Formats: sequence, structure tokens, C-alpha cells
Amino acid sequence: MFLSKTAGVLTIVALAIGAVAAQDAAPGLRAIVSDLAAPGIDNGVRMSDAPRPPRPYPTDLSSRNGMPYLRGSIAVKFRPGTAPAAQQIMIDRVGASAMDVPSYADFNIVTIDDTTDPEAAAAMLARQPDVEYAQARYIMHPMFVPNDPLYVQQWNFPAIDMEHAWDLNPGATSSITVAVIDSGVAYRSVVRRFNASSWRGGTGVTVFNFPALGPIDVPFAAAPDIAGPDRFVAPRDFIWNDTDPLDLDGHGTHVAGTVGELTNNSIGVAGMAFNVRIMPVKVIDSLWDDIFGSPFQGTDDVVARGVRYAVDSGAKVLNMSIGRTGPPSPLLQEALIYATQHGAFVSIAAGNEFELGNPTTWPAGYANSIQGVVAVGAIGRDRQRAFYSSTGPYVELAAPGGNQRSGGSSGGILQQTFDLPFVETYQFGPARYGAPRFDVFAYLPFQGTSMATPHVSGFAALLMQQGITSPAAIEAAMEQFATDLGPAGRDDQYGYGLINPRASLRGLGLAK
Amino acid sequence: MRAAGVSVVLLLLNPAASLAQVSVRGFGDVGLTVFNATQSFKAILGKPSGPVFGGGVELGERRFFVSLGAQRFRKTGHRVFVFENQVFPLNVSDTITVTPLELTGGYRFRTSGRFIPYGGFGGTWVRFKETSAHSTEADDISETHAGYHVLGGVEVPMQRWLSAAVDAQWSSVPNALGNSPTSVGSVYDEHNIGGFTLRAKIIIGR
Repeated sequence: MFLSKTAGVLTIVALAIGAVAAQDAAPGLRAIVSDLAAPGIDNGVRMSDAPRPPRPYPTDLSSRNGMPYLRGSIAVKFRPGTAPAAQQIMIDRVGASAMDVPSYADFNIVTIDDTTDPEAAAAMLARQPDVEYAQARYIMHPMFVPNDPLYVQQWNFPAIDMEHAWDLNPGATSSITVAVIDSGVAYRSVVRRFNASSWRGGTGVTVFNFPALGPIDVPFAAAPDIAGPDRFVAPRDFIWNDTDPLDLDGHGTHVAGTVGELTNNSIGVAGMAFNVRIMPVKVIDSLWDDIFGSPFQGTDDVVARGVRYAVDSGAKVLNMSIGRTGPPSPLLQEALIYATQHGAFVSIAAGNEFELGNPTTWPAGYANSIQGVVAVGAIGRDRQRAFYSSTGPYVELAAPGGNQRSGGSSGGILQQTFDLPFVETYQFGPARYGAPRFDVFAYLPFQGTSMATPHVSGFAALLMQQGITSPAAIEAAMEQFATDLGPAGRDDQYGYGLINPRASLRGLGLAK
Repeated sequence: MRAAGVSVVLLLLNPAASLAQVSVRGFGDVGLTVFNATQSFKAILGKPSGPVFGGGVELGERRFFVSLGAQRFRKTGHRVFVFENQVFPLNVSDTITVTPLELTGGYRFRTSGRFIPYGGFGGTWVRFKETSAHSTEADDISETHAGYHVLGGVEVPMQRWLSAAVDAQWSSVPNALGNSPTSVGSVYDEHNIGGFTLRAKIIIGR
């Protein structure tokens, strides 16, 4: 309690210093006010919060215009050797005004008129003989079902016999880097100044006008139960296009906790591979990113660049608790192939849309065609498929993702993330709307295939540490020893079954 | 009692011999075994062969003999994962112990020279144990499997009570490996735990 109050006072002091020192932030920009911010405040497990209403859905922010993809641009890849002049002729046919080659990409972003249908333009370009693929820039989102902040024990690790698995491999080592390709991670302390514009949004028929907050100083802190000396490596933000992937949502931090929450430290909860290094790669924009006017959104091409960046920067395991429905994405497919060809294993959330028509989720839909990439479905505490967990031929493994419908309040996956009332100030309408804080933490139960996926990523890190270095072999080791659930053999609900880390880590003996 | 029974058998095989000619000899041996399950042993232990040590007792007369011997092979390697013929050693030690008990009936070819060739065949009972780090009782394995063997060699008398011999033996102990899906034996479809053994023996007795 004392520490929490002290931290709060220090934060206020830091904010005051920052307010004097920093210039007002322009829309779409963020400035560092102070990187001497106080450490995070840990509110522990909160037991008595009232249920939270669904997040308001913005209706007028540029990235949330109701379309599943961006207008005004498409992604295209030309075949090798296509002359620039020929490329220009082709993009002229769709009325392109500019073409950029982004970093960590082997494709181009072509700017088209806002009134042009990106799907039609992409289809027209894709028909050209020198075009390998062209696609609209579909927007990814985190694969979790928001839920109430109830507090439970971690049933998920005993469910996959992790206690015995940790006997065989206690949390891997810092030689393994796991990239969390997500909404960022609460990985450091800093105070940043943003300009929060007005916006309109709500849930159902209730729509609010949220006022502009103007320049606000926002405190960030490293998650106390995740951060440690040399814990984070090569951070990168593709939403703000810099090297400071601060989480403005909480999803990426929660996911990072399941991968590698500090363990045996007498604090909080455990993580799968608690000794690994974590590479925060931000490719998903949160509502606050949008309110603050981030220059990029989490489109397919941004995610693909994040994948390539992580691989090029040394990550051996990539966690992608993200996805979208809609058409396939060739550039994401190529990014996944690139990852496995460069020795990185990828685990991807299978999707949470089972009750929404069960459409194929991408990039998970590519998993069964690429060795070393797995799509992960979710089970609840009852070891049954969670109600939301998408099914299909691409589902290859199942892991605990939580199911509060069948498991009640204790059915979620508990990890440290932001204490959401300090983040989602928009939750109860304009009256209580104010600047967020990203330096106050709590242990919250989430559910979703997003939560199942980092179990597999942490598991992959353990296997890699154990000696299986090939992504394809890691996938095979997971699938061969999985505990079969549902119909005998592989099925579309559980894939090859529930992960069994101990059995995979033990591998094969001569006779048994 | 059993020795007397074996003596009777030997006398029946060679009626010209007398009970007084039946001798009891002891032997110790050291050798090298190459297992039939070549790929499986190589995956776990790094190579498909290893030293064996043993000894036994032999009851015989001038030409026929019966021997009962035991040997022991023990080596520690690592559990593995095999994917597309690539072996990934895991950081889990795995100890293999193979203890064959062999009952052999044989014949010595008496020649005019110093060397005495011999051959034989018989039954083999192999005690097979496998245990690994952090294993439970259910994980470990301790089983006995039956098979057979044939052998041939040459003996050289050194002194009145001392001889040396070298022999080669091939044994087959089927269906001992590969019954579990979590075994390299099943991956390589290798089920026989017998092998080829080259041995040097020191024999004490007349």
C-alpha cells in the first residue's frame, strides 16, 4: 500500500515536471515528456469490481470507419525483374498517385484515391502478368473476448501439466527471444504527451460525443511482474513508426505475461517460459492510439512488416494473438513462410468467431499449409472447446484460452496487465472520460484464442531450448504428443489436441 | 543336481566319454556389441554399438559343452525427437541397460593344431531397462524378452588351467522395441534388441 502511494506521488511529480518541460503535442505525434517516470503501481488481484460494459465502438476515427480495410491505399508485390516503368504503367491503371516501399517488406504500398474501392483496385492489379499479388489493407485486431475483471487462480498451467514440464525445462533461458507481435507491451517507464482529439462512438444504440482532451501527459510503466533486467530486446512500433512500442490497450501485455511472466519471484502469477527475452513488436492500434492519431493502423502489410522485423532481429518464436476475417492475405502468407524459412516458429490465434458464423480467420488460415506455423484453438477449464473458439481445417492445436460461459468467473486466463478502469476511461461515457494511465496494473482474467496462443509460444521456446531447433520439427513435436480431445485423431475443433508440454519435452526414448 | 543332469545329456551326446571327463570351467569375457536396432541405438546413444562385459560357467567334455553366461551393456545418452530423419537430442538423459542371459549348447572341433574351433546355439533372455531423468515409475521400462543366438569361435589353451578364446555371436530378440509410440524403435520400425557381438574370453578350468 505504501509503495503504491509513493509511486503515485512520484508519478504526479514526474507529470508536473513534464508539463513544464515538454512542448504541446501536435495531433498524430507523441512526445517524450520524461523518461524518469515512476515505476508501475501494482493493484494486485481485484476482487469486487462491478461488471464492465462493452467498449464503445468509435464511428468516426479514420481507422474505424466501419470497413474491414483501409481506404486510400492497397498493397502490391511485383514479380522480380519488373521494370519501374512497367510498374508505373500498371499502377496508373488504378489511378495511383504514389508508391512506397516500406521497411521490412518485399511489397509496395500504392496510394489510390479515397473514393476508389481498394478491393476492386487490388483485383485489377492482381490480373496484371507482372503482379505476384495485390490486396486491400485489411485491419487486424486482437483475438480476445473482453470480459469482467474477476480474479481467479491460474488453472491453465496445471491443465497442461506445466509443473512437471518445468522440471524438464525450467522456463528456457535468455538465449531464446519470443516476439510478441501485438498491441505493444508495458515494457518501460516514460511519460509521453499526446493530443487527444474528439471522437464519436458507443455501443449499440447509445452513441456518445467524446470531447477533445487536448495535449495530455500520459504516464507509462513497465509491468512489474513481466519486466526485469535485460528482459526486453529490440522493441519496435509499426503503428507510430518508431522504436517505442508502448501498449495503449493491455492486450499485448497480458499476452506477454502468459509467454513469460516472471515466475518464482513471490509476486503475482507464472508464465510459460519465464526466462526468455521478450521482443515487443507493435502492429495493432488500440482505441487510444486512434484517439491520439497514430499514423498507421494494424493492417495486413503492417503486421507482415512486424513479422519480418521480428525474424530479422533475432526472434525465434513469434506470438500472433491477432487476426481478422475476410479474404486471404498473400503478403501475410509470404511473411509467415519467410519466418519459418529463417528458423522462427509462429503460433497464431485461431479466432473467436465460432458463434459469428465461424468464418476463417487470417493469418491463422495459413497455418496448416506452412510447417512451423500453428493455429491455436482455445479450451476452457472443463477441457472442452471454448464457445468462441473458431473451428476449421486450419486449427492444429488447442491450449487453455478460458471460457467464462462454462467456467464462471474463474474460467479466464489470469495475467498481469493494465488496471482497465485507468485505461478505458471512455467505458462509462463522456462524464467520466479523461486521460488514461498506463502505469497502474492488476491481475485480470481474459479469455480468447489470444490467451491460448501464448501458451503455445512459450511451449515452443521451451522446446527450442530443449534442443529442437527447426520450426517444422517443433510443430511436429507438439502435434505428436498432444492429448487427443474430441473425435479420435485430428479434428477441426481441437486440431491434434491439447498441448502436452511434458511429453513433448521428454521426447522419444529407445523403447518408451 | 542340474550339473549332473547336464552331464548326463553330454554323455548321451557322446557315449564314448566318461563322467570323469566332464569338466566345469568358468569364464569372463569382454566384447563389443552392435545392436540390430542400429538407427534407434544411434539416435539415443550416438552410436549403435558399445562394450559388453560378462562371464559364466561351462560344463563340457572333450567335444560337447553347455554354457550359461550373462553380459551387461549399459550406456547413457539423451532422449530425442526425430523429424524427417533428423534427430534432435533433447536435454533429458536416458540410460539403457541390456543384460542378456544365454544358455548355449556347443561343439568343439578337435584338430591336430593348437587352435580349437567351436560353434553353438541356444536361447537368449534379455533383461531390458530404460530410465530417464525426471521420470516416473510409469515412464521407466524394465522388461524381459526371449530370443535365440548362434555363435562360433576359436579357443587357444594357454596353460593347463587357462585358455583364451575369441568368438562372434549373433542374436535375435524380436518384438522388444517399438511397441510404444513414444519410442524411436517405432519411428524406425526397429523391434529387435539382439545384435552382433565380438568377444574375447578368458577361461579358467580344465
